Amino acid sequence: MTIPDDFKTRLKIAKSKIKNQLTDDSEKRGSFMGNAFKLGTELVAAVAVGTIIGFILDSWFDTKPWFIIIFFFLGAAAGMLNVIRAANKMQKRE
Amino acid sequence: MASNPMQQFTVHKIGPEIKIGGLDLSFTNASLFMVISTSVILFFLFLGSKEKKIIPNKIQLIAEMFYTFVAKMISDTAGSKAKPFFPFIFSLFMFVLSCNMIGMLPYSFTVTSHIIVTLILALFIFIAVTVIGFIKHGFKYLSIFVPSGVPAILLPLITIIEIISYLSRPVSLSVRLFANMMAGHTMLKVFGGFVVSLGLLGGWLPLSFSVALTGLEILVAFLQAYVFAILTCIYLNDALNLHH
Repeated sequence: MTIPDDFKTRLKIAKSKIKNQLTDDSEKRGSFMGNAFKLGTELVAAVAVGTIIGFILDSWFDTKPWFIIIFFFLGAAAGMLNVIRAANKMQKRE
Repeated sequence: MASNPMQQFTVHKIGPEIKIGGLDLSFTNASLFMVISTSVILFFLFLGSKEKKIIPNKIQLIAEMFYTFVAKMISDTAGSKAKPFFPFIFSLFMFVLSCNMIGMLPYSFTVTSHIIVTLILALFIFIAVTVIGFIKHGFKYLSIFVPSGVPAILLPLITIIEIISYLSRPVSLSVRLFANMMAGHTMLKVFGGFVVSLGLLGGWLPLSFSVALTGLEILVAFLQAYVFAILTCIYLNDALNLHH
């Protein structure tokens, strides 16, 4: 059984259409939105972790409130580092 | 009619109380919905892989789509070295996805809207990735805390910041999933409550909002599962290929 040429060309056109749609539309938009959701919590989580570490160190060494202040800022710095890194990764992937 | 929007998140026991050594191991609605979502995955993948046709039927097509989706995600983000971890990431993705999606059904319970569930998942990933990193690289794995090209004076400060950034991974991973699911479901319930209290005359506006929000929530449910899996891939990549 031979496949008619007409069908082959139609199949080719349909396949290329599907390919374009996948890469252009849903896939890209999906990953963009995924990235957008990612960034917000990245910043907050590091600040929270830094503050918690500071709190624990303070209660260990009885130095309230110094470690909590220091580690709050260190946590903020770590959060910014996280966001910058995630943004760099996004740019590279494009 | 439940008017409290947070009532949907309460965990209650189903069946008898089971206590083993001071631990309350009773079967709850959370466990029930975990079992349901796991069996949905198993059933669906069983149906999808039952008949291995060259031209797939619909269920096989969807199952293959999930497979290629996760396989592509892993090879894109973590490279070929991460191939052995495919089963882990695939089951993680499918579990979170089906928990989120089943939570979208009315009268169901969203397991992922509880921080303890997502935190355990994230901690498991965090510990697994750390162990994998140490197995692959030994003590050289600690060099991810010491970026290259930093002046010696700044090094202690940068190392502390790097450690905080590393420790914040499970927190951000779990809080993101939990907060998105809980906020979405609370919002749906609040708008649902508005429909009831405004009645036949004014209830149409919040009802239309509810419909739109349901669509958005289904998107969020999928995206959060995707983000959860892709971040696991990224962390795995950091552990497998040691360089920034």
